[in-house]
Amino acid sequence: MDTMPHLSVNRSSKPNCRTVWLISVLVGLLAIHTYANDVLPVPQQVSLSANMDSQQLSISWLAGAATTFDLVILRTELDETVLSETVSVMVSQLSGRHEWNWTSVEPLECTSLSIKIRSREGQTTSEWSNTEILQGSDLPSEENFQIFPLDKVVPVGANTTFCCIMKEGNQFGKIRYGNTDLISTRLSRRSYATTVFNQGLSSSSGSNVICYDNTEQLITGVAVFVGYPPLPGDFVCETRDLTSTVCLWNERRDTNLYKSRGTRYTLNNRPCALEWSRNPQKEYRVANWEGKWTLVAVNALGQYSLTDSAKLSHRVNPVAPEHLTSVVHALNATVLWQLKYDGYYSLALVCQVELTSQGYKTKHTFTGVGLRSAVLPDLYPYEDYSVQVRCGAQQNFWKWGSWSETISFKTSSLVPESPDMWVWMNKDYTGQVMWKPLTRRQSRGLMTGYEVTLWSPEEHLQHTEIVPLDIFAVPINLTQIATVSSDNMVMATVTAKNTEGVSQPASVLIPLRLTDVDPLAVSRAVYTDQGFSLFWQSDANATFAYVVEWCNASCKWNCLVDWINVAPGNTNVSIESANFQPGVRYNISLYSSSSEAPELLQRWQGYMQELVPSSPVMSLLTTQQDSDILLSWEQIPLVSRRGFVLGYNIYMSSGSQFTLLANLSDPGSRSYKVKSMPEGSYKFTVKAYTSAGEDTGATASIMLEPFTDRLILEILASLGVTALFLVIVTFICYKKRQWVKKAFYPDIPEPKLPGDWSRSQAPLDVKPPHHSLVHMVERPEWDSSKEALVVIPEEDEDEDGQGIGEALADTDEPTSLRYYNQVVDERPIRPRYPDSSDSSASSLDSARTDVTYTGIQTSGSFVFQLDSHGSSEGHQPQADPSFCAGGGGGYRPQMQSRVVSDDTGPASPNPYPDPEAASGGGYKPQSSWQMDSPVEDGEGGSRAPSLGSPTSIASTQFLLPDGEEHTEEKRQPSSSAATWLTNLLSSTKP
Amino acid sequence: MAARRTRRITGPDVSRSTVARAARIAELLQYECSILLELYREKESFTADILVDGRLVSVPPPSSQLDTRDKLWRLHSALLQCRSLLDRAIAREEEELGGGKKGDYETQRKVVKDRLSYLLISTGELLKTAGGPALLTPNLEGLEIDGPTTLFELKLWVHRIFKEVDYWTKMAITTLEALPSVIAKESMMTTRVRSTRSARR
Repeated sequence: MDTMPHLSVNRSSKPNCRTVWLISVLVGLLAIHTYANDVLPVPQQVSLSANMDSQQLSISWLAGAATTFDLVILRTELDETVLSETVSVMVSQLSGRHEWNWTSVEPLECTSLSIKIRSREGQTTSEWSNTEILQGSDLPSEENFQIFPLDKVVPVGANTTFCCIMKEGNQFGKIRYGNTDLISTRLSRRSYATTVFNQGLSSSSGSNVICYDNTEQLITGVAVFVGYPPLPGDFVCETRDLTSTVCLWNERRDTNLYKSRGTRYTLNNRPCALEWSRNPQKEYRVANWEGKWTLVAVNALGQYSLTDSAKLSHRVNPVAPEHLTSVVHALNATVLWQLKYDGYYSLALVCQVELTSQGYKTKHTFTGVGLRSAVLPDLYPYEDYSVQVRCGAQQNFWKWGSWSETISFKTSSLVPESPDMWVWMNKDYTGQVMWKPLTRRQSRGLMTGYEVTLWSPEEHLQHTEIVPLDIFAVPINLTQIATVSSDNMVMATVTAKNTEGVSQPASVLIPLRLTDVDPLAVSRAVYTDQGFSLFWQSDANATFAYVVEWCNASCKWNCLVDWINVAPGNTNVSIESANFQPGVRYNISLYSSSSEAPELLQRWQGYMQELVPSSPVMSLLTTQQDSDILLSWEQIPLVSRRGFVLGYNIYMSSGSQFTLLANLSDPGSRSYKVKSMPEGSYKFTVKAYTSAGEDTGATASIMLEPFTDRLILEILASLGVTALFLVIVTFICYKKRQWVKKAFYPDIPEPKLPGDWSRSQAPLDVKPPHHSLVHMVERPEWDSSKEALVVIPEEDEDEDGQGIGEALADTDEPTSLRYYNQVVDERPIRPRYPDSSDSSASSLDSARTDVTYTGIQTSGSFVFQLDSHGSSEGHQPQADPSFCAGGGGGYRPQMQSRVVSDDTGPASPNPYPDPEAASGGGYKPQSSWQMDSPVEDGEGGSRAPSLGSPTSIASTQFLLPDGEEHTEEKRQPSSSAATWLTNLLSSTKP
Repeated sequence: MAARRTRRITGPDVSRSTVARAARIAELLQYECSILLELYREKESFTADILVDGRLVSVPPPSSQLDTRDKLWRLHSALLQCRSLLDRAIAREEEELGGGKKGDYETQRKVVKDRLSYLLISTGELLKTAGGPALLTPNLEGLEIDGPTTLFELKLWVHRIFKEVDYWTKMAITTLEALPSVIAKESMMTTRVRSTRSARR
């Protein structure tokens, strides 16, 4: 090839010689080619060597010096190319042959393979060698159903190709891996292959690859194991007997390959004969100490090596001490043991003794050459102990050896410890001596009982009581021991007894004086996770200890108290007890504890946990105070408070709704006033609250009544104002009486009579009929359209109040009814002095006259009350004709309009039968009608209507009593202001 | 002959209770064996209809001509072979496929093995009552007691053994349930023979 460009250059430079030269070159090239064909050797003696497990095919051949070869591998039966590759292969120095290895994807058993080789040098190749065939298992001579590879072990994640060779005459069905059907390819007439990719861990018994025929009745299969190569660790070797070697390691990863496929180990190239175990901790013993070790772990997927080296003296791990024994006393014990190997007796050992008592373990360490015993101090008497021992090398300590077997022993008894005692005193010199039961350790032997002694040093009296084991409190009465005096004291002593003897006495000095001296202040104790935390001031020079005592605050008599002792110098302590209960107030007292009597130093109160009060406030009362409502209550009993009461919430409830009226933050509050409440019904709820919340509340109701006192006051005030007004009016009228007189009561001019007509003419034979009296009868059948007295209710008086109304309640008609003559214009009798403007103004205009008259009518009614028939009935209305007739002395208007209308209708159907009564004593007009109009009592009142009678004029005048008025006043001393005014006016009349 | 054999049955009540107890054990074993098969198929991804060719246990063929003792002997012998096969299967499985974490399958396998032993004790008592040999040793001749060589075939072999135990458990139930009526009938025959002999005297 290199010559070709060269040839082209020559041809262009020498064209004459071109043909000859070209021929020469071609001949030369032909000669070279011919030579090459003759030189490249055809591979000879091709040999195949197959490793079925590794699926590797080794091919060797002879081919002289050739180094490059073309290899072709075909599936023989289907003539499919598996491999076609040019490879460079050197001659093996050992065999003198060319050798090349090929690993097949499929198992080599799957089908027959044909291999042929030729030499190559550049583009020049030799002839192909003879084809060599690697026989597969699908030969017709092998008719069985087969599958390959058999029981293979592969690493996790590997891809594995399986092939299935069908039984002669059967058709291929499918290949399954576990529960999965796989896609298969045909390799030969009977052989089918499939590949499983990225295989996961198989089960410990392997994953199954199953080949089915087309009927799925005939199957064959293989198991494939997927796992990991070995990975040992923590490899170390030591000695236990100072001679041999024990190597230890563990498997850091489960290979998932077990039994025959499990990991095999070699130590220093010697197989370790280990029994199969799933325990990852491995141990192998070698008879001597080699100082350096190599561990190799191997399985089907790989191997792993570990090394270790050490001196023997640095790797001593003693075996457990043997044959332990003990020598036991009350407060100590000696443990003895033996060493297994003689070499230990000259070895400096450190040994650990583990002591176990009541579940608690303590370790004591001892050292010594060939150590074989240890003394255990500070043991409790009459206590069960168990002991075990282990040792290690004191120098170049490697590790503790194994624990020995455990031995147990019990220490001897001693007299018990002194009991922890305390005294509770009531206020009457009784109380109880208490002590805490001794624990098993404090008992220090088999307890037999307690002894309580009361001793009065002054009076040398002693009282001793033997107490059984299950009693821890004895009642006492100091008055039986000593005389009560402020100087006397009684010493209470408690001792404990067991089989070994009596304990030291515990004593408390009890003064014979009031013991329950309350401290100046009671603090609050706060409960935390550690209990009640208490702090107090302490004198720096104080050498006494303290006793902190606590009990239920609601207990007052022989209380079950608990206590703890506090060492001198301490100024704080936290008390905790399993008996603390939420919602219970505890009194916690600090006492000095010395040779003298205990002295109360400080007191606290506290709750382990505050709860809402269990009951509401007591005796909730509601009281009306005018328009205010006073709520009052009593505090909740201490037992029910269950917390410090912080205050009270006052609610007003309406139905199910509560309205907060007030929050009383003073826990001492006992009342609350709800002010200015309108009349009505109210319900109030008072709830006390602690830090835990409100209680259920106490409820009280109240009906707020009208405030009657105020009403009375208002009435009285109104009356007072009215009276004052009348006084003022009266006073003004008095002062202005001339004006009043002119305005309201002008003088009636004397009638001017032109001549003595009265005498010359016929006597006036007009007599007022006896029935001209006002006959006030209310008759429903009366036609009100006719002339009559019209009843007008007096509204003003109705408004005056009930007092007056009640006074008139028994009347058929109220006295305040006013009667007006509505038919004044129809009066038939005209004044006889029509020229008198004054008279006409006052008499003809009856309406106006009536108004004026009305104003005075009140006095008329009072005058009516002057009825001689009895003042008790003076307030009775005059509507009753019989009453009026009986009275005879009352005022009666002299104008009787009914007189005119008698013939039109009976205004008075029941005329008075007694004409004398009708004309009887009464008021007379101020004018001198008496002279001009003499009244004939006997007749005038009972006959014809009083035509032209001056009585019609008289009705516009004030009616004043005649000379009998003084008598009337005597009969009615309580004359009204109108009467007084009338009299006053009368007296001023000229 | 029948009369002679029946006389050897010591009381129908005892036999009936023993038969009933054996039947209850067989029923329990059958249930436990079905669970074992299910667990094994799940473990090995075998389908329920996986091919099982031929019986492993070798006993004389069943016949209506067989009397109670022969039926009991045939059953007892088959169960003995089952237990031998099962023991061997468990050993081979542990040896070549075991070593992994023990699970429900291994527990159930032991349960079945123990229950089969109880059933064998019960059928042995019945066989003894029926006049059979006091102690039978399993005839392992012809049994594929060593099993195959490849692991997959070993698994199939274990499965076959479990199926065999299941089959013979069902057979035991059928055989034992048929026994009480036979015993009663033969007890009546025994009474007749005695009555006849008494009458002849």
